[in-house]
Amino acid sequence: MTRVWVRWLPAVVVPAVIAVAVVAVPMQAGAAVDLPDKTAQEVLGLVSDSTVSSFSGTLEQTSNLGLPDLGSALSSMPSGSGDSETDAAASAATTALELLTGSHTARVFADGADNLRVQVIDSLNERNLIVNGDEVWFYDSETNEATHLAIPADVHADARAELEDATAKAQAEAGAMPTPAELADRLLSDLDASTEVTVGTDTAIAGRDAYELRLTPRTDETLVASASIFVDSETGMPLSVDVRAHGQEDPAFRVAFTKVSFTAPDAALFAFTPPAGATVTEQALPEHDGNADHEALTEKDLSDLAAGDLPVTVTGEGWAAVAELPAGTVSAELTSSPLFAQLTTSVTGGALFSTTLLNVLVTDDGRVLAGSVPVETLQAAAAE
Amino acid sequence: MSSSEERLAAPVRNGSFGWALLASELAVLFRRRRTIAMLLALALIPILIAVAVRLSSSEVSAGQGPPFLDRITQNGLFVGITALVVAIPLFLPLTIGVAAGDTIAGEAGLGTLRYLLVAPAGRVRLLLVKFAGAAAFCLAATLTVAITGAVIGAILFPIGPVTLLSGDTISVVDSIGRSVLIALYVTVSLLGLSAIGLFISTLTSVPVGAMAATIVVAVTSQILDVLPQLEWLHPWLFSHYWLGFADILRQPILWDSFSDNALLQGGYMVVFGALAYGRFATKDILS
Repeated sequence: MTRVWVRWLPAVVVPAVIAVAVVAVPMQAGAAVDLPDKTAQEVLGLVSDSTVSSFSGTLEQTSNLGLPDLGSALSSMPSGSGDSETDAAASAATTALELLTGSHTARVFADGADNLRVQVIDSLNERNLIVNGDEVWFYDSETNEATHLAIPADVHADARAELEDATAKAQAEAGAMPTPAELADRLLSDLDASTEVTVGTDTAIAGRDAYELRLTPRTDETLVASASIFVDSETGMPLSVDVRAHGQEDPAFRVAFTKVSFTAPDAALFAFTPPAGATVTEQALPEHDGNADHEALTEKDLSDLAAGDLPVTVTGEGWAAVAELPAGTVSAELTSSPLFAQLTTSVTGGALFSTTLLNVLVTDDGRVLAGSVPVETLQAAAAE
Repeated sequence: MSSSEERLAAPVRNGSFGWALLASELAVLFRRRRTIAMLLALALIPILIAVAVRLSSSEVSAGQGPPFLDRITQNGLFVGITALVVAIPLFLPLTIGVAAGDTIAGEAGLGTLRYLLVAPAGRVRLLLVKFAGAAAFCLAATLTVAITGAVIGAILFPIGPVTLLSGDTISVVDSIGRSVLIALYVTVSLLGLSAIGLFISTLTSVPVGAMAATIVVAVTSQILDVLPQLEWLHPWLFSHYWLGFADILRQPILWDSFSDNALLQGGYMVVFGALAYGRFATKDILS
């Protein structure tokens, strides 16, 4: 009966070989990397000296914030119910929520400061943001709608700032992910006495050796356990950002390149003409046409927010800061929507939207308190 | 059976690698009335879609119905792509299940298997030839849907430059190249299922049982693929990348799912090929 045994051998060996390959290949890819030692200062210097402006790559974003996967609930939300303002607000909220749950893939192409293309890869669909000098396009293949934003050639400094606001908004609308560079900038600017900065384990990210810059809050009052920025050892470009929460093994939020190349992408990628048949919306800059349409209005709201026109009160310091918005900021439509009820839990003093990194408390009298702090801290701040 | 006589008549010499056997297998497969009926049924899918959209007076708005349906009225070349999206979950696996489930069990059921093995073809060679036949059917089925779709689309609707998912526009010639790539992608996607069907087919001499089991496997895999609780399992399911052909409609083409899919289907082919060999080589052929 040896011959029978021999003939079944491939059926045993082949799965075994595949299993070994499946285990071994990722281990090899994530193998420890040994780079020359650098201090945190030097790695920070590497980041600030980075001159990379042309690259293309694939970004993976995963959120593990302890929220339910809302993909199906969000897509089944009715749209186009008539009231454009409610619709727009709802769609902005759902896009933000979508970004906070599950994982996303995007391709990023950048050439210099003026050319950028972000493609958010959805199953059978794609959302595109194209910035080509003075032209900004947003295209959604699902609805076949294109939005165009043209910047006059004689932009002065204010308009440039507004453009950045609008771009940020368009990005948020696209569900586009912040690039690691943007996130790193934001985190590094927040560095102060509140944070301990160390150099962690060298790791391979997207096939490149990277330094880990680990930021650990000095306080225990916050939900954030640590944040890590992985910096490419050659170019100084941040390749990945991880944010970890207390009591959670996987990163609560992670943006990382899975593929990156530092050659300039094809210039044709930045030349966008809306396809025939697409609905094209021309979007005016707020300063020129402030009240014309709703989109412009929200942009204005955003810039107002940036300018500090909204009375935001901040209590606490550093990582444990709590931001408070006065009553009336959150519309009744939002708080009465079924999605809101589904997402929040009722706690003493209001409704709580809780994630592993951020807690938001909407008090019964309509105030909103938010911070990377435990609920008790929010409730205490609300009671003050 | 004239088919088996024909194959027995085909000279199988040592070292000829069974090309003659393959040729006769393909000839039998594609001359079979069942195969032709299945291909005709597949060809009906794009025709039905195109005629329904053409005759309907109501405008299809974006995001309604199967993906790309709203693009058909603007560009007939999308008929083939819409038909593929519609056919992939059920119709294609159904026909592949019939073709692959029939491979060995069909011969056993007709009592022709032992005659095939009388010729010094060898059981390995017969398995390879049978798998090649099933793979050829995958290609034929996919091309039937894609080509019928393109032709009926060109007849009923205007054709012109094609809009990709990224919003970029490519010429008709480029779009034909992409359609060929999509057909290849879908064919490769179905090879794993063919290998499973071949293995199941070696287990029984009742062809209908093998066909049904193969189709059940395809449906089960797709059900598992939508359960969020089994997310860790999803990349291992042979149906996971079935709709990933949309990545060919991006600008530039995103090859990740193409290569992941090829690797996965290759894995299924090797594993179930080895299982089929273990079973078929040790089996007592009684019929």
